[in-house]
Amino acid sequence: MKALRVLHAILREIFEESAYERFCMREGVLRGRESYAAFLRQRRVRVKCC
Amino acid sequence: MRRLLLWIGISVFGAFGFGSMALHRGEQINALWLVIAALCTYAVGYRFYSKFVAAKVLALEAKRATPAERLEDGRDFVPTNKWVVFGHHFAAIAGPGPLVGPVLAAQFGYLPGTLWILVGSVFGGCVQDFVILLFSVRRDGKSLTEMAKQEIGHVAGLVAYASVIAILVILLAVCALVVVNALKQSPWGTFTIAMTIPIAFLMGVYLRRLRPGRVVETSALGFILVLAAIWGGQWVSLHPAVGNYFTLGAPGLAMAIILYGFAASALPVWLLLAPRDYLSTFVKLGTIGLLAFGIVLMHPTLRMPGFTKFIDGTGPVFAGKVFPFAFITIACGAISGFHSLISSGTTPKLIRRETDARMVGYGAMLCESMVAIMATVAACVLEPGTYFAINSPAGVAGAVPEKAATTISSWGFPVTAEAMHRLAQNVGEITLFNRTGGAPAFAVGMAHIFSGSLGGQTLMALWYHFALMFEALFILTVLDAGTRVGRFMLQDALGHVWKPMGRTGWYPSALATSAIVVAAWGYFLWQGVRDPLGGINSLWPLFGISNQLLAAVALCVATTIIIKKHRARYALVTLAPLVWLVGVTFTASWHKIFDPDPRIGFLAQAQQIAAAGGNARLVFNNRLDAVVSAILVVMVSLLLIESMRQWMAALSGRKPSSTTETPFVVSRLAEERG
Repeated sequence: MKALRVLHAILREIFEESAYERFCMREGVLRGRESYAAFLRQRRVRVKCC
Repeated sequence: MRRLLLWIGISVFGAFGFGSMALHRGEQINALWLVIAALCTYAVGYRFYSKFVAAKVLALEAKRATPAERLEDGRDFVPTNKWVVFGHHFAAIAGPGPLVGPVLAAQFGYLPGTLWILVGSVFGGCVQDFVILLFSVRRDGKSLTEMAKQEIGHVAGLVAYASVIAILVILLAVCALVVVNALKQSPWGTFTIAMTIPIAFLMGVYLRRLRPGRVVETSALGFILVLAAIWGGQWVSLHPAVGNYFTLGAPGLAMAIILYGFAASALPVWLLLAPRDYLSTFVKLGTIGLLAFGIVLMHPTLRMPGFTKFIDGTGPVFAGKVFPFAFITIACGAISGFHSLISSGTTPKLIRRETDARMVGYGAMLCESMVAIMATVAACVLEPGTYFAINSPAGVAGAVPEKAATTISSWGFPVTAEAMHRLAQNVGEITLFNRTGGAPAFAVGMAHIFSGSLGGQTLMALWYHFALMFEALFILTVLDAGTRVGRFMLQDALGHVWKPMGRTGWYPSALATSAIVVAAWGYFLWQGVRDPLGGINSLWPLFGISNQLLAAVALCVATTIIIKKHRARYALVTLAPLVWLVGVTFTASWHKIFDPDPRIGFLAQAQQIAAAGGNARLVFNNRLDAVVSAILVVMVSLLLIESMRQWMAALSGRKPSSTTETPFVVSRLAEERG
């Protein structure tokens, strides 16, 4: 069960769901189109390795 | 005592695996021996060597606050669970490199590549990733170029910056070339990959308008659509009119990819780049897991011998002897300089506790090394004749199937045009001859493994195109993310000359810099497409050299910090891989520039083409490649000289050896944990 929770947390971090949640908390906004658009605007492009 | 016995058991089992791999001459061995040797090596390397590095060389301190804790801002600096950082880091470092390099190096047999992957990762790649990660953590998440500048000097900073730009351009060109070679004359594959673009658009709109922030759910839906595209691709390829639109030659595909790269760099991130990134990560993690499962379940026999006669340098896939060329062909999977950019990028800002750096830095690289072993298995389960038929360029084996089959059989690896035709039909391709670049061979190997364990021969074509889609998808993700990162770096540099150019949101600047970056890698791609030897022969070694030279830059920085920290007695930990890499890359560069064999030396090839009255552009391209190789070597030589001056000064006590490490602050999180 713990392993599944960790796996879920890993996926949420990789797919930036956690980052979006942190963004909403930091900015004091609710989840929604506007806040997600604002989140995407400040999102940095991550370097991908070869 | 029980633990001691356990580790003795693991070591003996691993040694038995190595023995089975190395000592069976003229007999085929089971792929599981490679897996066993690898897993035991990783276990021993992690348990003992990484522990030694952590305790003696780096002196990790669990009670020292990391930048994620001290500078926590909920955006860049976020203290994160070590497993989550591990997954995040692995997803960022695992790209197409560990899949393509080992497939190409399989021309020497399975043994040279496998040994290099195991030894190189445990003593080189993992150490590099680990130490750079930790040194970045102790410098508030500073990048490699910043650390090079602060610890060694301005020249070092400049060299590191130029190396990053050079590797980025060559990497993007070679990645694009792999995709071009995988998709040429393949309507099914081209259709599937083309469909990922509207699928990414749909995902972008879905994420932004319908279900904001639900990325896992959106990626799963995108994945289902991609599977539908693979399924539908077979009908498209059979349709005479529609199939024709997707049957493209190498130049047509190259132009399409260049245009795509430009669009991906200039369009809003949310519309194309981000959803493709999510989709490719989703497919990547799933497929790597599936491949591992398939190999263990099927435990196929390796058809490729341990060594082939091509260790003498006459190989058809790429020319050059096993030393140094095997060691630059396999970079990612053994040691990759590019990883040092990730280890000094996002990851150090997420590390919650210093001691987590061992698992994240060293451990994630071990996993990537395992991916490279799986790629070796996928290439070596093919009959050697089939492997060489797929990977030999027309200029070496012959353009006509019968001629190519006769040439390859004359090397001692029997293959017939009929057998290759049947195989092509089974996987839904027009032909599999001269499909250089590594991706098609990997896809055939993967389809062979999958179809043996899941679905049988009837699904072989679907597995093949799934594998092809998997590779092409995340190669293109590297391409569009890399182009955008290159654009930002260029905008940053040009901003010092004229301020508006530095504004990333200013469209004229975005368009101009995107065009410059795309033109730079597009030029090398076009050169590869036009190369009579298939392009991979020239570009992959160039990529390997630049990637390994970047690793040399990272190891120089690491050695300097270790010496400055008065731990010179442990400097061999980074100095030994540094010396090895310098030896390998400088030797390889020398061969690529000056070797009298036109298949190896750029200058000899230029001279041969000129003497035959050939295309002036090809002559220029070869000379350009020689100049690029020479510039890379000169830059790294400068850095080495600068570093050695720092080492001598620190060791002789002439200069107070100060590093830019942040002062010790007690971790609040550690105190809470007690």
